[in-house]
Amino acid sequence: MSHRSERRGIHVDQSELLCTKGCGFYGNAAWQGLCSKCWREEYQQTRHKQIQEDHALAERLQKEEEAAYANNHQGATQPQPAIAPFSKFEERKTKEKSRKVNTMTKFFTPSAKTPPKKESVPGEALSTPSPSVSRKPLETDRTTQEFIDFLKTLKPGREIFKQCRAFTESMAYKRDLGADELSECVQDFYQNLSDRLHTHFKGSSERVESVMDEVERYMMTRLYEEVFCPETTDDEKKDLAIQKRIRALHWVTIEMLCVPVDEEIPEVSDNVVKAITDVIEMDSKRVPRDKLTCITRCSKHIFNAINTTKKEAASADDFLPTLIYIVLKANPPRLQSNIQYITRFCNPSRLMSGEDGYYFTNLCCAVAFIEKLDGQSLNLSVEEFDLYMSGQASPQRPQAVPSPACSAAFSQMNDSLDLLTGLGVRQERVMEGARRLESDLIDWRDGVEHKVQDVLERFPLEMHPPASPTASSAIDADNVENDHLPSPLQPQLFAG
Amino acid sequence: MAAGGGAGNKTYSFKVVLLGEGCVGKTSLVLRYCENKFNDKHITTLQASFLTKKLNITGKRVNLAIWDTAGQERFHALGPIYYRDSNGAILVYDITDEDSFQKVKNWVKELRKMLGNEICLCIVGNKVDLEKERHVSVEEAEGYAESVGAKHYHTSAKLNKGIEELFLDLCKRMMETAQAEERAKGNGASQSTTSRRGVQIVDDDPQAATAAGGCCSSA
Ligand SMILES: Nc1nc2c(ncn2[C@@H]2O[C@H](COP(=O)(O)OP(=O)(O)OP(=O)(O)O)[C@@H](O)[C@H]2O)c(=O)[nH]1
Ligand SMILES: [Mg+2]
Ligand SMILES: [Zn+2]
Repeated sequence: MSHRSERRGIHVDQSELLCTKGCGFYGNAAWQGLCSKCWREEYQQTRHKQIQEDHALAERLQKEEEAAYANNHQGATQPQPAIAPFSKFEERKTKEKSRKVNTMTKFFTPSAKTPPKKESVPGEALSTPSPSVSRKPLETDRTTQEFIDFLKTLKPGREIFKQCRAFTESMAYKRDLGADELSECVQDFYQNLSDRLHTHFKGSSERVESVMDEVERYMMTRLYEEVFCPETTDDEKKDLAIQKRIRALHWVTIEMLCVPVDEEIPEVSDNVVKAITDVIEMDSKRVPRDKLTCITRCSKHIFNAINTTKKEAASADDFLPTLIYIVLKANPPRLQSNIQYITRFCNPSRLMSGEDGYYFTNLCCAVAFIEKLDGQSLNLSVEEFDLYMSGQASPQRPQAVPSPACSAAFSQMNDSLDLLTGLGVRQERVMEGARRLESDLIDWRDGVEHKVQDVLERFPLEMHPPASPTASSAIDADNVENDHLPSPLQPQLFAG
Repeated sequence: MAAGGGAGNKTYSFKVVLLGEGCVGKTSLVLRYCENKFNDKHITTLQASFLTKKLNITGKRVNLAIWDTAGQERFHALGPIYYRDSNGAILVYDITDEDSFQKVKNWVKELRKMLGNEICLCIVGNKVDLEKERHVSVEEAEGYAESVGAKHYHTSAKLNKGIEELFLDLCKRMMETAQAEERAKGNGASQSTTSRRGVQIVDDDPQAATAAGGCCSSA
C-alpha cells in the first residue's frame, strides 16, 4: 500500500506541464514555461541578442585560449610542435574540399563572413532583460570552458574548437532549414570530424568517441533551443497525441502486458519508481547523450526489478513489456520531441551499436507499440478493448474478494435499507390508525346528528308568544316603570 | 555504416540482431556465446538482451554488439525498429518445431525487402541435442538458406555445439562486406548516408499477425 502512494507521487500535474500562455501545448522549463511557438514569439529578439553575445564570448574565449597556447609554447624549445599536425590536417582538408565540394565548405563559409554585429541589436531588446538571458549564457559558458579545458590536452584541440564553434554559429543562420536538413548538416559534421579523428588517433575508436562526446555536448548545449522541437516539424503535435493516448490507456494492467515484475516486493517497486523518474528526467537534459543516459539508467532499474522478481537474466521479451509499462506509468513529457531530437542530433555511433543505442531503440519500440496497441496485443477481445478505451467499463481487478473497506460500506448500506423498510411499515401502521380515527370521527358525528334529530322529533319546538313583562326577570333600562322596586337612593347632603 | 571510416587498422563495430519465434533459444544462444552459461540460475548476469563480445580476427579488432529482440507475436511489427542499421541477423528456429522454421522464412523475406543484400543472414537450427524429435529436415533447411543467400548452421545451446563457429563465420562475412563497402566508397560512390536515420515502422504483414501473444517466456 505504502509504495503505491509513493508511485503516485511521481506523476506531475498535467496543468504544470502546459504552456503558461495557455495555448494548450506543452511548456518547458528551458523556455520559461512556454511552448516552443510562444517561446519563439516572445523571445525572438532577446535570442537575437544572445547569439551576438555568445559570439562575442566565443571570440573572447578563443583569444584567451590562443594566448594560453602561445604562452605554453613560448617556453618550449621547439617553436610550434602542436601546430604541425594541424597544417597537415588543413592540407588534407583542402584536397578533400576540392574533391567533394559539398560538405565542409558549405559549413565553414557562412561563419567566415561573420554576421553584422552590434548595430543589428534592437534597442528594446536591450531594455527588456529576460531571466533567460542570464541563465542560458551561464550554462553555455560553462560548457564552452569545459570543452576548451578538455581540448587543451589534445594536439588538434584548437582546430577542433575552431571548427565546432564556426559550425555552431553557422547553424544559427540556418533556421529556415527543415529539421531533417539541420540533422543532415550536424550528422555530416560529426561524420567528417570523426573520420579525421580516426586518422589522427590511428584508429583508436575509444579516443575518437570520447572527443566526439565532448563535441556533441558543446554543440548541442548551444543549439538546443534552435533545434529541439522546431517549428518546421509536427513534433509538438505528436507529443500531444502520445500524451493523450497514454492517458486513455490508464487502465492497462501489469497482467495484460505480461510484465515479469512483482510490485508487492518493496525492492521491485522501488526500482519501478526510479525507472519512472529517470524516463521523466530525460526531458530536462539538453545534450542528446545526457538524454540517452537517462534512458539507460531507467533500463538498468528495469533490469533490477526483473531480476529481483524472476531471479534470472532478463531477455528482450522481459525487458520490452516492462519498458512499455514504465512509459505508460510515467507518461514522459514531450516524448516524441525527445526521441526525434536524439535521433537527429546524437552522435550516430552511440545510437547505432552501443548499449545506450539498444535501450533507446527499445524506447522507440515501446512508443510504437503504445501507438498501435489494440485488444489483441493485450489478449483482450475487441469489445472489451473498446469498452475500456471509451471508459464505459474498467477491467476486473484481480482480487474478486471485496476489500474490508468495501464490505463495511455494503453492510452499512444494508442496515440503512433495513431501517428504511422498518420505517415504511411503521408509517403504514400510523396511516391505518389515522384512517380509523377519521372514520370513527365521522361515525360519532353521524351518531350525534342522529340523536339530535331524534330528540327534536320527540320534543318538537313550540313557539309561545312572548311572555308578560312581569314574567320577565330581567333587570334593565326597559323596565324603569317597575314599581316593585324600591326607589333609588337619593344623594343626601349632610350639613356639618 | 556502423563500421565507420578511416585507416586500415581500425576497429570494426558490428551490430547483430537475433530474430526468431519465442522459445527457440535465442537468449540461450547469446548467453552461451558471451558468458558460457546455459539455464544458469546463478544470477551474475543482470540481462541477456544486449551483450557485447570483443574479437580479434586475422589481426583485426572486432566489437560485436548482439541485440536480442522481443520474439512474441504481438511485438512482430517492431522488427524494423530493431534491425535497422544492423550488419548481421541471426535467424533462429527450433529443429523440433516446424512452425518456427516458417517464421524464419517470413523474417528472411522481410529483411531482404527492407535491407537488401547489405545484411549478412545466418539461419540457425537450434536444439540439435534433440535430434530424435527433429521436425525440420536438414536438406530442406540448408536448401532454403542457399536459395536466399544465407548461411545455415546447426547449434545446441545446451551442449555448446556450433555456436563459436557461427559467430566467427558471421564476423568474417561482415568484415568482407564492410571492406567491399569501403572500397566502393574509395571509388567515389559514397552512398552510405541514405540509411542513416529516421525511425519508421512498417505495417505488419496481416498474415503474420494471426496467432495471439503469450509464450513460455513468463514462466
Ligand atoms: N534441449 C535444448 N533446449 C534448449 C536449447 N536452447 C534453448 N533451450 C531451451 O529452450 C527454452 C527457450 O529458450 P530461450 O533462450 O529463452 O528462448 P528465446 O528464443 O530467447 O525465447 P523468447 O525470449 O521467449 O523469444 C528454454 O527452456 C531453454 O532451456 C538447446 O540447444 N537444447
Ligand atoms: Mg529470449
Ligand atoms: Zn504556448
